[in-house]
Amino acid sequence: MNREQFLKKLNASLKKLPHEEQEDILEDFQEHFDIGKSEGKTEEEISKSLGSPSQIGKELLATHYLEKAGNDYSASNIFRAVWAVIGLGFFNLVIVLGPFVALLAIILAGWITGAAFIVSPLMVLINLAISPGTFEFFDLFFSIALTGLGLLIAIGMLYATRFIATGFVRYLNFNAKLVKGGLKHE
Amino acid sequence: MNIQFNKGALELCVLALLDRTDRYGYELVQKISEQITISEGSVYPLLRRLKKEDYVSTYLQESSEGPSRKYYMLTDKGREYLRVIIPEWRQFSNGVNHLIREGVGDE
Repeated sequence: MNREQFLKKLNASLKKLPHEEQEDILEDFQEHFDIGKSEGKTEEEISKSLGSPSQIGKELLATHYLEKAGNDYSASNIFRAVWAVIGLGFFNLVIVLGPFVALLAIILAGWITGAAFIVSPLMVLINLAISPGTFEFFDLFFSIALTGLGLLIAIGMLYATRFIATGFVRYLNFNAKLVKGGLKHE
Repeated sequence: MNIQFNKGALELCVLALLDRTDRYGYELVQKISEQITISEGSVYPLLRRLKKEDYVSTYLQESSEGPSRKYYMLTDKGREYLRVIIPEWRQFSNGVNHLIREGVGDE
């Protein structure tokens, strides 16, 4: 791969970054090629030791999305960060996606339970509308108690979701910091 | 040798190299790859992150040969951080060496 091919590939993998940042990154690599060439290396040699441009692009994207997710724990930011970290390698697919799906299921289950409890009086009313004969006051009072419980669960879930999201973004950061490499043989 | 190692080690290498003198990216990459096999390109994402975290700052300087180069300089915050992670690293590598001696013996 020569300089032009390398930079083109790198640029293609940076499409989602802000334009300014793309330019800045490309400049760094242009400088790297310039100096390498002035030291007598060929473009092919330089790009070979730099490694895969799309892998470099993935690392930069992961850093970018992790930073965004760390500043604002919105669902879309977290999803993008998870996706970007998974993209870093197969290893991450296993150790990121598994816990993510599990945590997502827990959060979802909590919210659904809370929501179902809150709307339970509505169910009693629907039941009343469909089959008026079976109405019992016990059902109504019980469902109102459930609403209270549901509200408590919802408040608890608010904190739990926030807590899990922060923790998970930290876990992602930890994962993004694993890099493949080793010591030289000589 | 091909192990997954923590980027923390690479981060430590970069910060340590910048302690006494400012350096440009190419120079950092060369210094590190003299000792450790890395895909050299991954140093640049790391440098960007260190800059975002205010551990290093950059400036452009003209060079005698060709266009100006981007130099990286350790900030006070970066220097403080380096002083924290060096003993941590020593403790870690001493631990690993100790375990190797215990398990494999001196060869």
